[in-house]
Amino acid sequence: MAWITKPSATTKISKRDEPYLTEAMREELTGKILPRYETKHGALLPALHMIQHAYGWVPHQAMLEIAGVLELPPAEVLDTASFYEEYWLRPKGKHTVAVCRSIACEFCGQPEITQAVMKHLGIEVGETTDDDEFTLVELECLGACGGAPAVLIDETLHEFVKPGDIAGLLDEAKKAGGHH
Amino acid sequence: MDSFVRRRRPGVGLEKRTQSMADRRLFTENMGGRGILTQRIPTKPFGDLKDRHIVGYDEYVKTGGYEGLRKALTIAPDDITESVKKSVLRGRGGAGFPTGVKWTFLPKVEEGQVPGVDGFHRYLAINADESEPGTFKDRLLMDFDPHLMLEGIAICCYACRLDRAYIYIRGEYHHQAHVLEQAIAEAYEHGIFGEKGLINSDANTAGQRFQVDCYVHRGAGAYICGEETGLLESLEGKRGWPRIKPPFPAVKGLFGKPTVINNVETLCHLPSIIENGHEWFCKQGVESTVGGPPSFGTKLIGVSGHVNDPGVFELELGIPLRTLVEEYCGGMRGGKKYKAAIAGGVSMGVLGTDQYEAELDFDIGRKYNVLGLGTACPTVFDEDTDMVAVARNVARFFKHESCGQCTPCREGSGWLYQLLCRIEEGDGKTKDLDLALEVATSMGSMPGTTICGLADGNNWSLRTIMNKFRDEFEDRVERSFVPVKMTVGAAAKD
Ligand SMILES: Cc1cc2nc3c(=O)[nH]c(=O)nc-3n(C[C@H](O)[C@H](O)[C@H](O)COP(=O)(O)O)c2cc1C
Ligand code: SF4
Ligand code: FES
Repeated sequence: MAWITKPSATTKISKRDEPYLTEAMREELTGKILPRYETKHGALLPALHMIQHAYGWVPHQAMLEIAGVLELPPAEVLDTASFYEEYWLRPKGKHTVAVCRSIACEFCGQPEITQAVMKHLGIEVGETTDDDEFTLVELECLGACGGAPAVLIDETLHEFVKPGDIAGLLDEAKKAGGHH
Repeated sequence: MDSFVRRRRPGVGLEKRTQSMADRRLFTENMGGRGILTQRIPTKPFGDLKDRHIVGYDEYVKTGGYEGLRKALTIAPDDITESVKKSVLRGRGGAGFPTGVKWTFLPKVEEGQVPGVDGFHRYLAINADESEPGTFKDRLLMDFDPHLMLEGIAICCYACRLDRAYIYIRGEYHHQAHVLEQAIAEAYEHGIFGEKGLINSDANTAGQRFQVDCYVHRGAGAYICGEETGLLESLEGKRGWPRIKPPFPAVKGLFGKPTVINNVETLCHLPSIIENGHEWFCKQGVESTVGGPPSFGTKLIGVSGHVNDPGVFELELGIPLRTLVEEYCGGMRGGKKYKAAIAGGVSMGVLGTDQYEAELDFDIGRKYNVLGLGTACPTVFDEDTDMVAVARNVARFFKHESCGQCTPCREGSGWLYQLLCRIEEGDGKTKDLDLALEVATSMGSMPGTTICGLADGNNWSLRTIMNKFRDEFEDRVERSFVPVKMTVGAAAKD
C-alpha cells in the first residue's frame, strides 16, 4: 500500500475540459464537509471518496481540483490518495468483485471462489474484463468472517458464497448497474 | 441455557449434556436471561436471528434507550469517569486498557473554557475500523443498533467534556456507514446532538453545558488506520502512519488537541453501566486467576472457521473455548476434531491443540502463551488444517498491511512471507525455519524499535504458530545437516 514510486515528474497528466469536481460536489464539500474539520486537509478523505464514488477512480486532474479547493499542494493529495487501497489511481471496471482472502475465508473455501470468478470472467486477480464491466480483486478481511467465504460486490456483501453462486451474483450486480 | 440446548438438539444425549453443564458455570448466568449489548439484537442463545432489524430512534427510546444518558446528565462528569473506572471496563478494541483510567489522562478544562467555543476543541475518535482478520463483532452493533453506540458516545463526551466525535468506520462497511448516517440524523432531529442536544439543555443538571457534534468519517481500506494514532492521521486527511508516542493522544491528539480514542463495543457498554451501576457490571465476568486485573462484563465474541454455527455471541468473559465451540457454536463442523484457534484476531497468535480449554478473558495471554485477548474473536481450525498455510496467510497479511515506516517491520514482514512461502512449497530447509523464527522473534519484541504494535502482532502470530506446531513445519522442510568434525563416545581421544 505504501511505497508506490512512479515517475510522476515526467508523467503527462491527461486533462479534460469538464471538471471532475462538479458544482454540486464543490458545494457539498465547502458547505457540509469542511466545517466538520479543524483544517481543510481534514476534508481530504471525504473529497477523494466523492470522486471515487462518482467515477470509479481518482484521476490526476481530480486531485488537482481537490487540491485547489482544499488549498493543499497537489503532492499532498497524491500522497494520501496513493496510500489507501480503496482509491483507484487508474480506471477500473464498472463493478468491483472483492474476494476476501484472509484467515477465516481462505480456510473455508475462498480459493475455489476466486477460481470460479476468474473462470467466469476470464480474468486474473487484479484485472478488468475487456468490456470494462468487472474488476476482480482480493482483499484482506472484510469483517464478515462468521459468513466465510465472503465476497463484496460493489457495496453489497455476500456471505457463505459457493462457487456455484458466482454466475448469479455477477448477473445481479450487472443488472443493478452503477459505479462506486 | 438449558432450554436453548433442548430446542436445538431434541433428545440427543440431553441428560448427559445438561448434567455436565450444571457442574460448570453458565456463561449467561449474570445477564438475567438477555443480552446487554445485544438486548435489541436477537442473538443466540437469547433470540432468533431472523428477528434482527435496524432499531430506529423511536424503537430505541421505547425500549429504554437514552435513559443511561439522561441519568448521566444528573451526575457530575468526574463521578461518571470514577464510576467507569470502578467498573474496570477494559477496552474492547484489542489492548484491554482500562477505559476510565484512559479518560483521566485528559487535561482539565480550565475556568472559562467551553468545549467547542473559540477554537477550544476536545475530541472523541470512535474506532470502528475493525480490520483485524477474524474480527466482525463491532459490525453487529452498527448493523442493527446504531443508537446504542450514539448513546455511548454522548455519555463519553459528557464525562470527558468532548465537543466533537468522529466515527472512523472502515471503507468496506458501506451499509453500516449508511445506517449510522441515518441514526445520527435522527439523533440530531430528536435533540441528542447539536445545538439543542441534551448536553446543551436543561436535562443537563450536573455539568457544564456545551454543544456536541457527531460525524461519520469513512476510512479507505488500510488496516493500519485501526491503530489509534494512524487513525488520527487518517482523520486529518493524511496517510495513516502511526505517530511516535509520547505525546499521547489524550494530551495531543487529533489536530493537536486532547483526544479520547475508544472502540465501538467499549462505548456501547457505557449506557448500561451508568443505568445499573458499576457494581452490577462487576458481577459479570471473572476475576483474574493469575493476580492480574479482572475481566468484568460481557463480551461480543465472534466465532469463525470450522464450526457448525459461526457468528457473534454475547457472553460473560471467562468462557472456555471448548464450551463456546461445543455448546454455543454447535460443535466442530463435520464432526472433526479441534486442532487450533486464532486467539482473538490474528495478531494475538494461536491456541494449540492442547489449549482447547483456554478461558477467553484478559488472563489468556499469560496463561496460554499468546499476546492477549485481542478482539476475542477466535477463528477455529479442524484437524485437517495445514498450519503452514495458516502461517503463510497471516504472514502475507502483515506484509501487505505494514505501513513501511519502521525497518524491522517493513523488511521483517517481507522476509517472513517469503520464507513461509518457501516452506509451504516444500523448498525450505531447516535453517529457513530457524531464520523465520529468529526474524519473527526479533520483530517488535525489543520495545522502541518499532512505532506501533503491528510488528508485535506479526511476531506473536507467527512465532506461536511455528512453536506450537513445530512438527508440521519440520516435516515440510528438508533437513540441513551441519557437519561437525568431532568424534564422540569411547573412540574419542584427548
Ligand atoms: C495495528 C493495529 C490495529 C488496530 N486495529 C484496531 C481496530 O481495527 N479497531 C479497534 O477498535 N482497535 C484497533 N487497534 C487498537 C487501537 O490502537 C486502540 O487500542 C483502541 O482503539 C482503543 O480503544 P479501546 O480502549 O476502547 O479498546 C489496533 C491496534 C493496532 C496496533
Ligand atoms: S510497526 Fe510497522 S505498521 Fe507500525 S508504524 Fe512501524 S512500520 Fe508501520
Ligand atoms: S477473514 Fe474473510 S471476512 Fe474476515
